[in-house]
Formats: sequence, C-alpha cells, structure tokens
Amino acid sequence: MALSKEIYAAFQDVVGEENICDDPVIMPSYHSTEHAAVILPGNTAEVQAIVRLCNKYKLKMRAVCTGWTGMFPPGIVYLDLRRMNRIIEINEKNMYAVVEPYVITAQLQAELMKRGLHMNVKGAGANCAAMLRGHGHLDQTTSGDDRNHLAIEWVTPEGNIVKSGSLGSSDEWFCGDGPGPSLRAILTSAVPPGVTPGVFTKAALKIYHWPGPKQFPVQGVSPDYSLSEIPKNMMARYYSFPSVEKMWQAEIRLGENEIAFELMGFNVAMVAANIAKNNEEEEVLFKKLSQEVQGPGFFVILAGNSAADFEYKKMALEQIVKDAGGKSLKSIEDPRTEGIIMCQCVRISASIRETFRPGGAFSSIPVMGQRDLTIRWAVGAGKAKMPLIEKGLIVDDGGGFFGWGVEQGHLGKTEIFCKFDPQNPEAKAAVEAWSKEQSARAFNERYFAVLMGPVDQMGPGLSNFHLWWKKIQQAIDPNGISPEAGALV
Amino acid sequence: MGLEQYKGDMEMCCRCSACKFIPLQKVAGFQFANVCPSISRFNFHSYSGGGRVNIGAAMLKDGFKYSDKLLHIVYNCQVCGACGVSCNYAMDMEVTEPIQQFRIKCVEDGKTSPALDKVIAGLRQQGSMVPVAGKRGDWASGLNLKNAAREKVDVLYHVGCLTSYDKNMQKLARATAKILQKAGVNFGIAGDAETCCGGRAYQMGYKEDFLNQAKKNMAMIKEAGVKTVVTACADGYQAFKVLYDQYGLKGNLEVLHISECIDSLVQSGKLKLSRKVDLAVTYHDPCRLGRLGEPWIHWEGKKKPGDRFVFDPPKIYRRGSHGVYEPPRNVLKSIPGLKFGEMTRIKEYSWCCGAGGGVSDSNPEFAGWTAQERLEEARSTGAEAIVTACPWCERTFNEAVQGSGSNLKVYDIVELVEQAIQ
Amino acid sequence: MIEKEKLVNIVGAGNVSDDQATLDAYSRDISFITAMKPSCVVKAANADQIQNIMKLANETRTPLVPVSSGPPHFRGDTVPGIGGAVVVDLSGMKKIILVDRPRRVAMVEPGVTFGELIPAAEKEGLRLNMPLLPRQSKSVVGSILEREPVIMPKYQWDISDPLACTGIFFGSGDEFRTGQAAGPGTIEEQWAVGGLQKAPYGPGTASWHRLIQGAQGTMGLVTWASMRCELLPSLEEPFVVGSAKIGTLLDLTSWLIRLRMVNECFILNNTNLAAIFAEKWPADYQALKDALPEWILFYTVAGYEFKPEDRVNAYLKDITDLTQRLGMEPAKAVGGLSANEILKAVRKTSREPYWKLRGKGACQDVFFLTINDQVQGQIETMDELADRSGYAISDMGAYIQPIVQGTSCHCEFNLFYDPRNSREVERVQELTISATRGLMARGAFFSRPYGETAGMILNRDAASVAVLGKFKKIFDPNNIMNPGKVCF
Repeated sequence: MALSKEIYAAFQDVVGEENICDDPVIMPSYHSTEHAAVILPGNTAEVQAIVRLCNKYKLKMRAVCTGWTGMFPPGIVYLDLRRMNRIIEINEKNMYAVVEPYVITAQLQAELMKRGLHMNVKGAGANCAAMLRGHGHLDQTTSGDDRNHLAIEWVTPEGNIVKSGSLGSSDEWFCGDGPGPSLRAILTSAVPPGVTPGVFTKAALKIYHWPGPKQFPVQGVSPDYSLSEIPKNMMARYYSFPSVEKMWQAEIRLGENEIAFELMGFNVAMVAANIAKNNEEEEVLFKKLSQEVQGPGFFVILAGNSAADFEYKKMALEQIVKDAGGKSLKSIEDPRTEGIIMCQCVRISASIRETFRPGGAFSSIPVMGQRDLTIRWAVGAGKAKMPLIEKGLIVDDGGGFFGWGVEQGHLGKTEIFCKFDPQNPEAKAAVEAWSKEQSARAFNERYFAVLMGPVDQMGPGLSNFHLWWKKIQQAIDPNGISPEAGALV
Repeated sequence: MGLEQYKGDMEMCCRCSACKFIPLQKVAGFQFANVCPSISRFNFHSYSGGGRVNIGAAMLKDGFKYSDKLLHIVYNCQVCGACGVSCNYAMDMEVTEPIQQFRIKCVEDGKTSPALDKVIAGLRQQGSMVPVAGKRGDWASGLNLKNAAREKVDVLYHVGCLTSYDKNMQKLARATAKILQKAGVNFGIAGDAETCCGGRAYQMGYKEDFLNQAKKNMAMIKEAGVKTVVTACADGYQAFKVLYDQYGLKGNLEVLHISECIDSLVQSGKLKLSRKVDLAVTYHDPCRLGRLGEPWIHWEGKKKPGDRFVFDPPKIYRRGSHGVYEPPRNVLKSIPGLKFGEMTRIKEYSWCCGAGGGVSDSNPEFAGWTAQERLEEARSTGAEAIVTACPWCERTFNEAVQGSGSNLKVYDIVELVEQAIQ
Repeated sequence: MIEKEKLVNIVGAGNVSDDQATLDAYSRDISFITAMKPSCVVKAANADQIQNIMKLANETRTPLVPVSSGPPHFRGDTVPGIGGAVVVDLSGMKKIILVDRPRRVAMVEPGVTFGELIPAAEKEGLRLNMPLLPRQSKSVVGSILEREPVIMPKYQWDISDPLACTGIFFGSGDEFRTGQAAGPGTIEEQWAVGGLQKAPYGPGTASWHRLIQGAQGTMGLVTWASMRCELLPSLEEPFVVGSAKIGTLLDLTSWLIRLRMVNECFILNNTNLAAIFAEKWPADYQALKDALPEWILFYTVAGYEFKPEDRVNAYLKDITDLTQRLGMEPAKAVGGLSANEILKAVRKTSREPYWKLRGKGACQDVFFLTINDQVQGQIETMDELADRSGYAISDMGAYIQPIVQGTSCHCEFNLFYDPRNSREVERVQELTISATRGLMARGAFFSRPYGETAGMILNRDAASVAVLGKFKKIFDPNNIMNPGKVCF
C-alpha cells in the first residue's frame, strides 16, 4: 500500500528526504508490517503538518516511541518519534520535568538523580519513553498510570495543537487539568485498545525526591555489574512468607506505615531472573531459591532521607516482616547481590531478563486496582498455569504471579504471565487459551475486566464505556485517521 | 553456515531498543546515552542492532531482496559490537555475529560498495588496506630492527597497514619499536614481507580475502617459529586474536596488544615510566581491542527442545566482558604527571571512533560524524587530549579535529609512553 | 419545560417547590452572579428519581441545575444560568454507603456533609483529606467534584484525589460508573467478592472521573462518590512557623512536602487566621491579628501504627536540620494561638457562622493555581491591584495551599466585604475582575472558572474549550445540564 509519488513528496516537504522512507526493506524492523511509510518528525510543527496531510489524503497514522510493543494494520503512516528527544525542562523546586516522546526513562532519571530527584520507572523498562503512561516497581512511592502526568501538549487527529491545563492558559507545565473539566480524562496513552488518538508531543511529569547517590557506584563489566558500596541509608531485601495472607498482611502494614521506597512483589522466579546473567544460571538459581523461600514474597528497597529516617524504616520493616512470619532471602542479603538488584530495580526495572530472555515471548495479564482483590484472582490464575508447566509448554516459574503496592498500598498492581517460545505453536495456543480463560474468569467472577480481549463483549458490563469511547474518537477524529493508536512505549 | 546459523537468535529480538543505548544503569544523563552510531545518525529503527536482525530474520524467511536502502543500512554500520553488548546484558542471543554475517552475505551476492571494492583491490594487489607509497618496511629504516623471518625472535611486532604506509602514523611504529627495545624485548618485524592481517577486510564483509590474508600470515608466523604476535592496531589485534581463532587458524599463537605488553613490562619493572607528561587525558576504548577483542569461544551445539532458547551444551555468549580494558588504563595511570579522567561511554560500551566496518572508506561523512560525537564527549571531561590504542581511531579523530578546528589533541598510547620513558 | 405534576409523580409533592421564597433562595448566592430564578426546585432522594427527572428533562429540553450542598453558596455554579431551569437538590441524599478501614475508602451520597462523614470515618480509624474548614452545609461529594484543594498535600498524589469512583447519570440520561466501580458486575456483586470502589482509572484507558470533576454539573448528575481516606494518626505533633517573609516559609514548605514529612500543611495570613479563631468580633479579631506575624505556616508531623513516637522523632530531627539551615524556628504557638488549637479546628468543619462570613457578612474568593516560586510575585500583584482599587490590603485574607505533593499551589485571596454596603460590593466586584485579569497576566492558572470571570478565563484556551465542547455534545447532547456554566 505505497503512497503515491505526490503524497510521498508532500510528506517529504515536511520532514526532509532523510526522514521519510517507504522502502519495503525497513518494514521487518517496524513490526514486520507493510506501512505506507515511516516518517520521523522533528518537532510539534512537523507532527501537526503530517497529521493535517493525513486528514487531507485520508490516510491513517500511528505515533510510536521506542516501539517495544504494538500491533499495526498494514498501510498506515507510521510516525517514529525518535527525533523528538529533548528534555525541555526540569523544575526542581516545583517537582516536575517536561520531555518529548523519545526521551527514555534512563536519560531523564539520570538527569534527575544528579539533582536529588527521580521519577516513576515503568515496568516496560528504562529503555522506553519517559512520558509513557505506565506503572512499575517504584509505584509505592512514585504512583503510576496516568497519575504522574501534568500538562500535555497534544496534536489532535484534526491537526490542532491542544495544550492541557495551565499549559493552554498560562504556558506553564505544572497542571494538566482545567479550566473546568480535565482533558486528562482522555489524554492517556497505553497499550491498545483505547489509546488516545492523535500524538502527544510533550508531557510534564511529576518527579520525586531522591535521597540516594547522584549516580549508583556501578563497577565491573557487563553483564556482571555490582555496586562498589551500598548507598548510604539504603537497603534492599527479599522476604518470603508462609502464605499469601501473611504476605498481604505485611505488605499493607508496610504501606500504611509508609516504610518502603519500593515494594515489588516479585515471585521467586523473577528474583532468579533478575540476578542471573543467563538462562542456564536462571534455571539453577530458580531451583535454589525455590528451596529457600517459604512461600510468596516481595522485594523491598528502603531509602531514608536521613540516618534517623532510615533507622526508623529499617526497624519497622524488620518488625513488620517478623510479625507476619516473613523470612529474608539470604542471597539478597549478600551486599554484592543486594547492590546490583537495588540499582537494577531503581534504574532499569529489570524487565527484559524477567520476560523475554528465556523464550522470546511472554503473555501477560496485568491489572491495576485493588490489590487484595486482584491477588485473590491471581492465585487461581497461577494454579491454572501448572498443567502448562507440567507439559513443558511454558517456563516453570512455580505458577507464580507478582505485583506491587501503589501509593503506599492505596492501590496496587497484580500481574501474571507465561513465558514461552512463540515459534512453538502448541505453546502459543495453550498460552492463548489460558489467557482467555483467566480473563473470562476475572470478568465472570467480578474481579476486574481485562480489556485486551473482546471489548464489544465486555463493554456492556462496564457502563458501555466502549460506546462512549467510540463517540469520543469520532468527535475528535472525524476523518478516522488515528484509530486504535500504536503503543506510546 | 553463515547467516542461517543465527536464525533463532535473530527471531529472539523483542524490539526493546536496549541496543541503541549504553547499558541502562550506566546512563549518566541526557547526553552520551546512545551507543549505536548508526541509529544515532540515521534514526530509523532499521539502523539499530535490533532493526538489523529483524531484517536478517525476514530475509532468511522471505528471501534476500536488495535495494539501495538496504545497502545504505548495511554499509552505514561500523560493526562495532556495541549493540550486542547492550543487548546481552539481559538477553541470550547473538547480535553482532548475524550483523557481520549479513555483511559477508552482501559481498558474496555481489552487493558491494564501490569504495570498498577499491580498497580490496589494493589489498589483493599489494597486501595493504591503504594506498601504498614506498616499501612497507621503510618506516624502520635506521632503527636496526631484527627481521623476524631471518633471526630468532620471541615476538613478532605486526605493524599494520596504516601505521606502515601513512606518513602521519609511522611515528607510532617507531614509538612502539623504541618502547620494546627499551624494555629489552626480543622482537622482530617482517618489514617489507609483512602483509595485511585481513581484519578490516573481514569487517567490510570480504571473508575470502580475509581468509587469504590470514593463511598468509599464519604461514609466515609458522615459518618464522614465532610464538607471540604483538600489535599496536586494534583491528590487527582482533584479527589475530579472535578471527584467526574463529576460523581455526590461530593455533597456539599468543596475541598481545602493545598496551598489554607495556602494562606487563611496567609491572615487572622492565620498563620504567619516569618522565613527567603534563597532560589531562581521557581514554577511548577501540571496539576491536575492547568488546570485540574478547577471545573467541569455540562452541557447537543444538537448541534444546522446549520453551527456552537454550542449548546443549550450554552456549557461552561473548558479551564484551573479557576485552582489553584495564591494561591501557594501567599504563596511562603509571605515566607520571598524566591526569586521567573517564568519559561516560567506556570499556564494553565505548562509542565507536567511526572507522569500523569500512565506514571510513565507504561513508567518510558518517565516519566523521561519529568521530565528532566522540570528540565532544572527550571535551566534556575537560581533557586536553584523547588517547587511543589504534591507528585507525587516531586517524579518524585527527581528521575530525582538523575538520572542526578543535584544539583537542589526539594521541596513541605508545606516543605518551614514549614521552615517559627516558 | 417539565410539568410540575410529572415531577411530583417522581419525587412526591413535598419535594417539589415553586413558591417565591424557595425560588428566590435558589436564584442567587453570595457571588456576583446574575440572579436567575429557577422554575422550580426538586429534592431528589435516590438514583431512580434522578434518572426519571433526567428523562423528562431531555424530552422537554429543560435545563437542570444540580445542587448538593446546603446554603450559603459562593461560586455561582448552583444559580441557573438560563431561565426555566429546574434545580435538582440532592442535599437530602444523606446515605453514608460505606466506610472501609482495610481499603481506606468511603462511599457517600451527594448530600452527605463533612460534618456527617468525619465522625463516621473516625469510628473506623480513618479521616478525609479535606479542604480547609468547609462550611457545615458543604457536601463532601460537591467539594471533591469541584477539585477543592485539600490540606494534606502529601496524600494528594493526583489533582483528582481524594476522588475514587462515581456513579453518574450523564446529561443524556445514561448511567455510568467511573473507575473500578464500572464493573464487572453491579456494586453489590463487586462487594460480594471483596471489591471496593477504590481505583479511579477506567473503565478502559480513559479516566472518566476527570471529565466530571470541574464540570460544575454540566456533564451529568452524580448520585454517589467514593473517596480514598487516610489513616488517623496514632500521634500528631502540630507546629506553626511565623514570618514576615513568605518567601522563607515557601522554601520550608517545599522541603517539608518534598521529603514527605508532614501531613497538614498550609500557609495563612494573619487576617485569615484571626478570622478563623476570633471568638468575639471585632475586639478579639483585631487583637489576635495584631499579635500574629504576617504569615503563618502550619504543619503536622504524624506517626501511625508502628512506633509512632519513633516515627515522629525521626521526622522532627530532620525538620530541625532543615529549619536550622533555613534560619527558622517552628513553635507550638504563635500570637497566643496554639498549634494544637489549629489542628483541632482544621480536622473539622468551620463552626457557625462560616468563618469567611463572620467579619463582614460576605466574602468573594479569588483563587487560582500557581507554583511555589511564583506565589510571592502573585501576592505582590494582588496587593498592587487591591491597593489600586481601594481595597485595604490588611483586610484581605490569603491562603496558600500546596497541592498534589507540592507540584503546584492553590493560592487564594479572600475579599471580605459588607454586602449591605454598595460601595464595598462594587469595589470587590471590580477587584475580582481586575485581579483575575492581572493575575492571569502573571501566569496564574484559574483552573476552576466561576461566575463573571469564567468567560475571560476560558477565552485564554480556545483549543481546550473546543475539545470540551465536543465532549459536552456527547455526554449532554440536549444541553440540559447546567447550561451557561464553564464554557457551555
């Protein structure tokens, strides 16, 4: 579905010859899809011009950052936002940073840490867009999802530039809401379905205090990094508990007492994956750690703003864990392991090792919401993994699930996935079936709705949100140029 | 088996983009986070390590369709290996090897760069990767160095094409020789009989030419009965140490880079660095001395059936861990008066100088751009000079310095060591 | 226009009023909004009644004006913007549906006031993150939907907090539940599996609750809302810091919040603090005001279940380091007013009469959002404008409330005036307009546009208004919901 010469030339006039390509040879690297063209805009004005051309020529477009995930129909105009990679502002006093789409988390976080600040690092990894709406290991103290966005600059599907909140009224980035109702209701980006049509060209993000070092003292050579010392007033531990109930008891108590900087409910398979430097090591380590844990658990990072603060938090952590019958995993107590996992969890979120390394694919059911409720569902979903593990169709992780606290336990995230070889059709089919069954169970038993499935079927049970969303899409995108957008990842 | 043997690796790519950046926990700020010159310059994902293996996997599946764009992607790559290091922090899969094999396949299919063809023609005619002026051994006149073919020596100093023929680089050969002499090393050179190691030809994709050169060199070495080769060129180092081994030609030959040699000599007291060199420097790790200079691992095995990409016997990946990183640093730190500061992108995630993969010949503008990025990084440390350990890096930096009018000095490590010895 | 009889059939005769006194009461409020009589006032008691009213309103294109709080009203949003409107008064819907300690959430109907919910929450060991001394008749749901600033910035992670979920009938008459409440299943079915309506996002990737907040009832009628609650501390230590220089207080505030060391945290000027605590007017007020420094920062340090003394002591140590560095001294009292007294007061509603009305009988608030390091400049601008208009700066109240964990500040000027004095009325009315204009020019963001100044506020952002207009057409296609408010 190539663009005509005339249309190609029109886009080329906007971005220059070097920044547009429709050669089939590049398409395998763009999700193996035959796009009409891949275009690299350099700034908001170019994005606007491109969107207007899409309207003029009735072309569909999608905007993508690093593009880790995403499925695209053929024939779209694919906006690769790589050239839009500036940090616009870091406002330390007022705790926000403003970025373009292709600033990756690792870059922004490094700049913030130099200034005694940091940000939410999404589970997708520090290799992904900083402005991504997402959730991650640090949600306990840095919130998640759409709650970290302030003002957003948005090129609408009609090619208008809309700036939310204080940005539209006062050219300031600190507030994304108003005047009146907030456009942030729909200015949200995530894995489809339901991604906001149009393109986000800049976003302001809430940032947080960082009591740690300006840079983690990483030493060694890849992949065997370690810290030369554990940063002052910081500590990392993994605790396992005799049961899910006990684990939850400790988790919520830590949240209510505001103890943990990070509370990440890894299962032991993920702990092994994060520590191990290769697949074989991971397998061995998983078996070893499985013997050492007594049940489900979580990983905690403490970060004291001062020695006094750290001492209190340490005392609280140890007592709360003890009260719930928790046991510390010795491997993490080793400062060498403690240090690098601490650094990894803060700076990367470590997700590539956890997910893709073994088989090249994983199928996940994530849910943000009420943690104690979603844990209950996840226990069942984990049990349902066991037959697939026994048949060797998915990586053996003990049927584990994971999750973490959000905003000191007010909210939470639970996720469960299957790691498998996508080239194995039997494994692929089994995982798909598992995912379907567990999603249906979540819905039918009233836990939550997994919206990566048939939205038209689920929508009526969810206030017909899908119909309202369609109306909004139609209203802001009358020419239908920006339907189900690509992931802003 | 060429590219085919890496089918599984290429299919493992999950498009995480880690290959575009230095290892994430090493990212120190907004600047200097990129590690791949190719995508940093050209921006399309296809230019990244991940993009390249995506294309490789697709072409294995659907057939090789060459176009100008494909060749632009292929030849604007220094095959520097940075993508592989970043990827292999987390993933067990080959990245650099399939990229190299893709290059070789292009050449085999006749899809070459005219500029590189010209270079290879020179190699075939005169055993050199650079234009020949005079005799290969001319740089050594008056130095009374032993001829390794005629006299018994412990060490063969392989000079390399660029250092031998380039008037501006010959000083490196003289400095190296002086250092070895000073330390009392029993070494010799091949002089006019020296021929190209073939390393750069391999990078460019000309595998057959590389093998021809490799066989010639190993025959000479065997004939001379030499047990150790020392080179001051990173391309040469990788060729002898890694590529010859990869293709079963190296045998028991010991291969050292001059920096390893000097480090050892200084530590054993055989070389004293006693003259002060008042200079603030930073060190550039050449790709082929560092991450790509890691010893080859001979492995053969089969993928285990099942859900993981694991093998029997287990595959040990070369992740850049065992390159030559500390010896050059030790040497620099032993030079009295030298102030040493690190750049952000160092060691296994060093930013390429720009010359690799034949880029300085096929796409000099891109090579120059790459070098400029590096010089900016060097300047950001406050250094007065960037020091490297490869004549190709030095030449590329020198050209970039001249092009930009910067006053940053460029040195090879042997030049500073020469200044430091009495 | 809806026939009265049809409304009586829905809510009962006693709940439909069209007598002059009632209509008069709803036709105006304390603000300068143009008076407009509704056609009648309907008191609704439940969702079914509301749905039926809305059906009728859509059929007859009758404007509806939702009201949740009791009088006096201050913003003009409950006064009809157009003739022929029916006021739907929800203030009688007083069910506290649940207060759940483990999930830290409460769920209430629109008529529940702070005075009613606070003790119910306390019984469960919970508290609300509430605004500063709301009036006794103020609806909790109303306050939250208005995005009123709350006094514990530490616990406001997002500007929509403490709102969790809502049950709403959009202007179209369609029922919708936002957030976790959307489903699957009915609310009761969710409760049966242990689901509480806590997570605000969704359903889908939209955050529908954000469209309802700040809408001043123009998107639909909310029938219930859930909100996150915080724990009652086991131990609290309140402090005050007085200063003539607000700059240093702002610096301290910024660090206290950044390091998450304090719960309640706000700055008042002496005028406001005196207005709140004076028992007898005018003698007490003046004496207290004279005894107080110009600016007073109030904050609380708290500990919860685990060793609260140790927690508080650790915070106090760190705060001491901070205040010493900044050259300040927190105290337990200022101007004879104890920090404990202030804490006690701000945990509740204002005592009657509402504190803003005690001095002169009326008050016009000029408020906006800004950032910490622009506050001082905004204050100077306001002082200048007040001075120019003849309003005595010393009579003006000021309230600085850091919000959303310190990423912005709610800045509020309280213009007290005697409503019987036409000169004062005129002066305050003009100052409201000139202040809004002048402050906007200095970067103030009027995120909640009310009354006469709404138009000029919204004119600054035509692009956003255009998009909001599209939403309005979707959710309220017949434009029955509070027409004339916001930009609709």
